[in-house]
Amino acid sequence: MFDGLGLLATGITHFLTPISLFNIVWATLLGIVIGALPGLTATMGVALLVTLTYKMDADQAILCLMCIYSGAIYGGSRTAILLAIPGTPASAATTLDGHPLALQGKAGLAMGLATTSSALGTIIGIVALALIAPLLGEAALRFGTYEFFWLALFGVVISGQLTAMDDPLKGYIAGILGLMVAMIGMETLHAHQRFTFGMPALGGGIDLIPAMVGAFGFAEILAVMKRSAQARIVSSSDRVVPSLGEVFKYWKTILRSGLIGTFVGIVPGVGEDVGSWASYAAAKRASKEPHMFGRGSQEGLIAAETGNSAVVPGAMIPTLTLALPGSAAAAVLIAAMFIHGIRPGPLLMTESPETLYQIVAILLFSTLAILAFGLTLTKPLLKVLSVPRERLMAVVYVLCVVGSFAITQRLFDVYVMVAFGIIGFILREMKYPMAPLVLGIILGDLLDLNLRRGLLLTNGDPSPFFTRPISAVICGIIVVTILMSIPAVSKRVRAVFNRTQTDGPGQG
Amino acid sequence: MIKADLLAGLFFLVLAAATFFSAWTMDRLEARRINPLTVPGLVPGLLALALFVCGLVLTIRSLRTAAPGGWTDLGQAVTTSAARRAGAVLVLTLTYALLLVGLLPFWLSTGIFVFAFILTFETWLSTPRRPLLATMPWALGLAVVTATVVTLVFERLFLVRLP
Repeated sequence: MFDGLGLLATGITHFLTPISLFNIVWATLLGIVIGALPGLTATMGVALLVTLTYKMDADQAILCLMCIYSGAIYGGSRTAILLAIPGTPASAATTLDGHPLALQGKAGLAMGLATTSSALGTIIGIVALALIAPLLGEAALRFGTYEFFWLALFGVVISGQLTAMDDPLKGYIAGILGLMVAMIGMETLHAHQRFTFGMPALGGGIDLIPAMVGAFGFAEILAVMKRSAQARIVSSSDRVVPSLGEVFKYWKTILRSGLIGTFVGIVPGVGEDVGSWASYAAAKRASKEPHMFGRGSQEGLIAAETGNSAVVPGAMIPTLTLALPGSAAAAVLIAAMFIHGIRPGPLLMTESPETLYQIVAILLFSTLAILAFGLTLTKPLLKVLSVPRERLMAVVYVLCVVGSFAITQRLFDVYVMVAFGIIGFILREMKYPMAPLVLGIILGDLLDLNLRRGLLLTNGDPSPFFTRPISAVICGIIVVTILMSIPAVSKRVRAVFNRTQTDGPGQG
Repeated sequence: MIKADLLAGLFFLVLAAATFFSAWTMDRLEARRINPLTVPGLVPGLLALALFVCGLVLTIRSLRTAAPGGWTDLGQAVTTSAARRAGAVLVLTLTYALLLVGLLPFWLSTGIFVFAFILTFETWLSTPRRPLLATMPWALGLAVVTATVVTLVFERLFLVRLP
């Protein structure tokens, strides 16, 4: 406990240098701008900035990327409130109550509430990160090859299920496609090249960064430019800084949404949008004024913003301790960490425990920066929103091309970016979620290696995959998740539960 | 969407079959006397089977679901003005990434792309159309600035040898 506090203090002081503070300021501000601009998402921002932070020291690079990530998740709320279109998918639920508030002439209050609840959500997530990650990291040391195989499969299945709630089949397909992409290149058990079709460039596999820049950058450009109409900004000049009473009147909602967001963050591959929607739905169920939700409810806005911001630190828990990305942006962070020589996973807490507390400190600093910028830079951010997308997207595409090229300096990665952009766009248009695809790419090697290594260790006997306690539990969860996504099965189960509930009072 | 799902389902079936065939015929490294259950094609084969099952469910589901608009709706979806705009983005971006970059110096290809992109979407494909003379200075200015700044930052600051 005291070791942890000491490491946290060291983490905070580590970044109390002029260069670190300067990086926090520009990266958070850039993150907010990226999030606020429709068509630029947090994942895209982090993926593009990996190239720009390539030459930095590892701690400064991670600092910049984390600040951009957390700034962008907050920045999306600005667009949601003023334009009624979410700046990032994470702010979709914010639109429901944020924009009606702006239409009522309370845009300032909505922006202030969004800022403070975002900060509070991140703080709840940060506390959870500091408390849970060391425990999970210690528990993860007991995980063997069998457990890691199931964890990889669990990540893809749960992400497929939760990011495509209406149609989990499409989520599963996206996950399988991602895993198949990860099969390209040299496998790690016998060093055999698979699916390279005689192309030497495919020998090393598909790099995650160009693939992500394509799937989240180029695909987004196509989606944004496809729309012909641009939304109108609704603003007002009321006060932005909310009173303590206005915020803490809904303390239960804040706490609940923060915890839900953190939990959603911990679940692999389930991002901020799910955290936001889940918190919003829970707040509506528990509210004394559920009829106000969707009509400018301050509680709804607070729930959505607390929920999505709490996902960011929550997502770092599995990312750091298990190397399982908690969200799509966290997947890019894993790739960036490997580039900078940081190895997330169970050994992180023994090899470099200071990394965890440095990330906690980074999130604390970025939260302070978000509060400061969010409550003060109202007018400049309004100007940012009025940048025509025709001009913006042209520049963003140039950055997509040069960003994909710069890391390994080969044109092949630009082609990978283009291919993933087109495939990502088509899949998105057909309502396939992107998160399981990305998770599949990053977890494919883990799944492949651990399945075959497990079989090698037991000389072909698969029983440890099912008999070791942790393996059995994760396997059970996967089976139940898949079964429950079959409509006929879930209908039966629900019917059985409903019958039990209606029978219950009668028996008593 | 139903017909698009049908096409996608069929595509996944073909992809799964092709992957399974490749995985089945993949070198089993018998010469290295590896454990037969650790062959490189094992996981790709299992993934192909999983994709086949999902593709089959998607195909059957879309065949059994009523599609009111049918093929006409799908045809219309790719001929709308939105699709035309997406098509224009594709033409411009692919010309830039696959043709111009590598053929011309990076700064020149970038300048041409930014100029053409802004001009296309602010004049011809914009509703209402903006006058060419009003757009031209913006397109030209942004093209010059982007080409210069991106080239300088990446070449001088990050020491990247741009194509």
